[in-house]
Amino acid sequence: MVSQGLIVDQIITGLSIGGRLFLIAVGLSLIFGVLDVLNFAHGALFMIGAYVGVVAVQSLPGGFWIGLVAAAVGAGLVGVLIEIGAIRRVYDREELDQLLVTFAFVLILTDVVRFVFGTGQKTIEAPAVFRGSIQLTSSLTISTYRAFVIVVSVLTLAAIFLVLRTTNIGRLVRATSSDRDMAALMGVNVPRLYTLVFFVGAALAGLGGALAAPTLSITSSLGDQVIIRAFVIAVIGGLGSFGGAFVGAYLVGLTIAVGSLVVPGAGELIPFVAMIAVLLVKPEGLFGGVEA
Amino acid sequence: MSLLELTDVNGYYGNSHVLFDLDLAVDRNEVIALLGRNGAGKTTTLRTVTGTIPRRQGGLTFDGTDISHDSVDEISNRGIKLVPEERRVFPTLTVHENMQVARDMTSGTEPRPVEEMYEIFPVLDELRENRGRNLSGGEQQMLSVARALIQSPDLLLLDEPTEGLAPVIVDDLYDVLSEVVEQDVTVLITEQNVDFALDLAERAYIIDKGSNAWDGTVAELEQRADLLDEYLSVGAVE
Ligand SMILES: Nc1ncnc2c1ncn2[C@@H]1O[C@H](COP(=O)(O)OP(=O)(O)OP(=O)(O)O)[C@@H](O)[C@H]1O
Ligand SMILES: [Mg+2]
Repeated sequence: MVSQGLIVDQIITGLSIGGRLFLIAVGLSLIFGVLDVLNFAHGALFMIGAYVGVVAVQSLPGGFWIGLVAAAVGAGLVGVLIEIGAIRRVYDREELDQLLVTFAFVLILTDVVRFVFGTGQKTIEAPAVFRGSIQLTSSLTISTYRAFVIVVSVLTLAAIFLVLRTTNIGRLVRATSSDRDMAALMGVNVPRLYTLVFFVGAALAGLGGALAAPTLSITSSLGDQVIIRAFVIAVIGGLGSFGGAFVGAYLVGLTIAVGSLVVPGAGELIPFVAMIAVLLVKPEGLFGGVEA
Repeated sequence: MSLLELTDVNGYYGNSHVLFDLDLAVDRNEVIALLGRNGAGKTTTLRTVTGTIPRRQGGLTFDGTDISHDSVDEISNRGIKLVPEERRVFPTLTVHENMQVARDMTSGTEPRPVEEMYEIFPVLDELRENRGRNLSGGEQQMLSVARALIQSPDLLLLDEPTEGLAPVIVDDLYDVLSEVVEQDVTVLITEQNVDFALDLAERAYIIDKGSNAWDGTVAELEQRADLLDEYLSVGAVE
């Protein structure tokens, strides 16, 4: 029999895993929704963000906050290099070609990081303000850092919706995503817009990496695990749907955490089962077909 | 000097060669009808101008400038705007958002106010918040034309604007376009509805199997039932 307290604890853990997963899944979804490219290198961008976070915390006072910004900008710029250098050339090719190109960057980025930082694990601590925990009820606490990650993920979702729904650039991104040839005929510089979107998607992955850094042990292969989960989330939520990425991320986070209580050791498996179920029953994903 | 000039243009889709040494010249403020049977190459000719054809060779100048190496958006930003055969309204955006995108992307000239379009197309006014994909064919055509007009084009390319429209809608569209052509705009229009095009146009080009077949004034063409028979397989124009 599992105690109630333990279940609630695991729910909170699940929510914080979900918050972290959302940041990577949402960038993947954004890039897929607009550019129609599945970016396999997204996990590697997350990993780069985590390393930038580590370096910032270890070398600067107040490094955590600088690290968040630097991770987002750094991963974003690496994303821009990937987009301009390679992905831009395969937009009109088959999906397999695109996937292989982005996969090549997984290998390249992983090796570069291994070369620079070695194979050892890195860990950092959250800044002092986040070390405590918040008392939710008399018997229930949540670590302050986890609460912070959840808040950041909710704010990110809100920000993306606001930008897409209410700004000129957001409208332009939605138009281009629904018909890029017509957008070009109306004067939109589509490659430049794509680069911008790729920057934002990659920056979100980098931000996710730096945010996750205090809760993970970091190695150059960190991205591999993360990208698989992000794909699972994207499939469950519906590729290209941000609401779907959000719900999918929290569902996956919760099933991993709570599932490990029900079937000890198999929590990680449950999201894959869920993904297969979604693919069989509703292949477009829970929120597929509903755009941002 | 013509505003738009195509000289010896050849156009290709992959290995298939569909335009052959085509010549076309449009003077400023002229309205030109581009006529021909299904598959004659009318749409492809417009694609040659907009830069959306996969491969073309030959001379292409706009306002005296060689635009044959420009990208699609660069050509658009020179003031050449297309209302495509398939309308291509943004399906997930509302009517109003479709117009706003057109307004925001206008460059090098002042866009016309979105509200002005609602006066020209009252039917769109009632549909402001409807998504593009939920519009009827006629409504999409109105929106597609409105979107192009917002961008105050110097050269407006209309690809079969009446295709698939009910006769009353065709009449509405005619009223709008006949006012448009009064203004400071040059128009190149393709049509199967020959009467519609000839009522608007001053000169016409007929193309057949991707080559020039005839060109001249509309007045001349109206005396040439033989041409219409041979190249357009429709009855004489009254
Ligand atoms: N995307 C394409 N790929 C290959 N061939 C094409 C393509 N589009 C058109 N064609 C071919 O090019 C030729 C000219 O077609 P085009 O669409 O320009 O004709 P059109 O005069 O506009 O005809 P319609 O009146 O039916 O619109 C045709 O033989 C057509 O089959
Ligand atoms: Mg055509």
